Amino acid sequence: MDTLYNFVLIYMVYFSFAVFFFGTTLRLVKIFRKPKQATSLQIYPEKRAKWLWALYDTFLFPSVRKQKPVLWSILILFHACLLLLIIGHLELLGKFRIFQIIPHEVFLGNGFLGLIFCVTLLFFLFRRFLSPVRELSVPEDYYLLILLFFIVIFGSQMDWARRWFGYDQLVVKDYRTYLFSLLTLKPALPYNVSNSGHSFMLVLHVFFANLFLIFFPFSQSIHSFLSLPMNKLRRG
Amino acid sequence: MDQKTRHDLLQLFREKLNTAMTYYLETCTRCGICIEACHVYASTGQVKHISAYRHEVVRKIYKKYFKARGKIWPSVGEAKELNEMSLEELYESAYSCTGCRRCMVYCPFGIDTQMIMSIAKLLLIGAHSEPEILTMLADTSIEKGKSLDLFKESFMNGIKKLEKEVVKKWKMEAGETAIPMDVEGADLLFVALAGAHSIIPTAAVFNAAGENWTLSFFEAVNFGAFVGDPTRTKLILDRILNEAKRLKVNEVCICECGTAFRVMKQLAANQPFKVSSITEVHARYIKDGRIKLDSSKFNGAVTYHDPCQIARNGGVIDEPRYILQHLTNDFREMSPDPKYNWCCGGGGGLVALGEETLDFRMKSSRVKADQIRATGATTLVTACENCHTQLNNLNDHYNLGTDVKFLTSMVADALMR
Repeated sequence: MDTLYNFVLIYMVYFSFAVFFFGTTLRLVKIFRKPKQATSLQIYPEKRAKWLWALYDTFLFPSVRKQKPVLWSILILFHACLLLLIIGHLELLGKFRIFQIIPHEVFLGNGFLGLIFCVTLLFFLFRRFLSPVRELSVPEDYYLLILLFFIVIFGSQMDWARRWFGYDQLVVKDYRTYLFSLLTLKPALPYNVSNSGHSFMLVLHVFFANLFLIFFPFSQSIHSFLSLPMNKLRRG
Repeated sequence: MDQKTRHDLLQLFREKLNTAMTYYLETCTRCGICIEACHVYASTGQVKHISAYRHEVVRKIYKKYFKARGKIWPSVGEAKELNEMSLEELYESAYSCTGCRRCMVYCPFGIDTQMIMSIAKLLLIGAHSEPEILTMLADTSIEKGKSLDLFKESFMNGIKKLEKEVVKKWKMEAGETAIPMDVEGADLLFVALAGAHSIIPTAAVFNAAGENWTLSFFEAVNFGAFVGDPTRTKLILDRILNEAKRLKVNEVCICECGTAFRVMKQLAANQPFKVSSITEVHARYIKDGRIKLDSSKFNGAVTYHDPCQIARNGGVIDEPRYILQHLTNDFREMSPDPKYNWCCGGGGGLVALGEETLDFRMKSSRVKADQIRATGATTLVTACENCHTQLNNLNDHYNLGTDVKFLTSMVADALMR
């Protein structure tokens, strides 16, 4: 068991982060170094300042709001939860004063962020089973959503147990010790991390997160980096 | 398909992979927001005409040959081999897309389906599977550019015969030429389409405005762009660019042809002359008081169809409306607005393919017909030859009961002394 825990919680984490960072950087550099489009790909009517409108398109998806308001609401919820959960994980690395502008317990959202995130993922997943989105979808679309769902459900389960049911064997302090040891390249698994009742949940959470990170640079998740330059092309 | 052919086709594919194209091929999440964007899908309900489905046909080949996981784990992205069957799919996708870019407005990332379809069209050319007639028309245009001296005189004689018609619309001062040609130092070079209807009304308006203009020897339409061949597109365009430079004009004005205008505006961005559409020029004449129009000339409600390549893709949106304010008191805007306007269904070379595509064009443009009918207009105006032909066909097919007119013809008919 220890070997499995060490593999997933230490070696695989390093490997997946390496693939994520180098893979993403390499892919982006490769794309950006390709020849530029010689002609304008702008859509009219034109609005200035173009960069601001491109930012607006990238982060607020106005075209989706106009066409599919329900989907837009869920997309916004999904992305907002994702952002807040990333902040939550950063807070597991250390105390950042900037994130505590509104004082809160780690994680943000009292467990509800994970819940909302799960619901939005299920919505996206089941939406893909319905025609005509079903005909558009390819296996990777389902796999990515299922992968994300697994990450979130196992991660949230730990949060829910702690926040809603008073589970106190595996607490923020333990996560911080573990993650900080990874960050400082002195990996160690505190006793509670590898021996509490929820350790297996953590292993599953980290395992699926690792898979996602490995898959990220080669999947359409790369849109998180390309959306802005693409929207800029459309704005001219 | 033999190995060499596939290799050559993949080389063509690779040539198209610039930054923008790679963005478009890498990013689509198949979220389905574009589902209702395409007029073909909206009219027929066939999934294969959804924009994302359309570009997935190209993307699956991209995944197979240009992405590592297309080799390691092809099924995850349904990576597909390039073979005869995929060429058929490419044909169906490319030649059912009019390149209107309405889906680009819908897409949260702004994926340009027309650009992805340009890969499909190029592969079809490489496999000699493109619509032959478009290539032949493109080659004829190129040939005309190469041997201008051969046809120059007969062309000038033909144009001379049109001058009487121009004078009928706008009486010329003695000694002036109704259709000037080959005038070095003219302010404006007008690039028309082959056909009197494109030249006579425009010439009358230029003369009424006192424009120092000259008519191009070449027709504006770029069949190279329709067939998706960048080399032919450039050669056809170069004929006009060279003529404009030789005559030292300040402005090149493109007639009512959407593709010609967009190609010229985009590819002639850094030339020593300005590129305008005829609609922009007419709006300018009215604004400057160079021409006056009689708004009582046309009775009944008037609506305007924005040609995709001129409005959404070319930025000429306010000008036609400004002109129409001077031509009618009952202008009715179509809904949705120009940015989301439905394509007429005739772009991308479909009208140029004539009867062969007529049935498809009619079936795939039901939403356009509904949009026109909803305005209640009796006159349907547009500023693109392709759109005009397609709208006329729609008018007959769906019994819309409208009179389809060119904006330029209306301006010429309403000229006041």
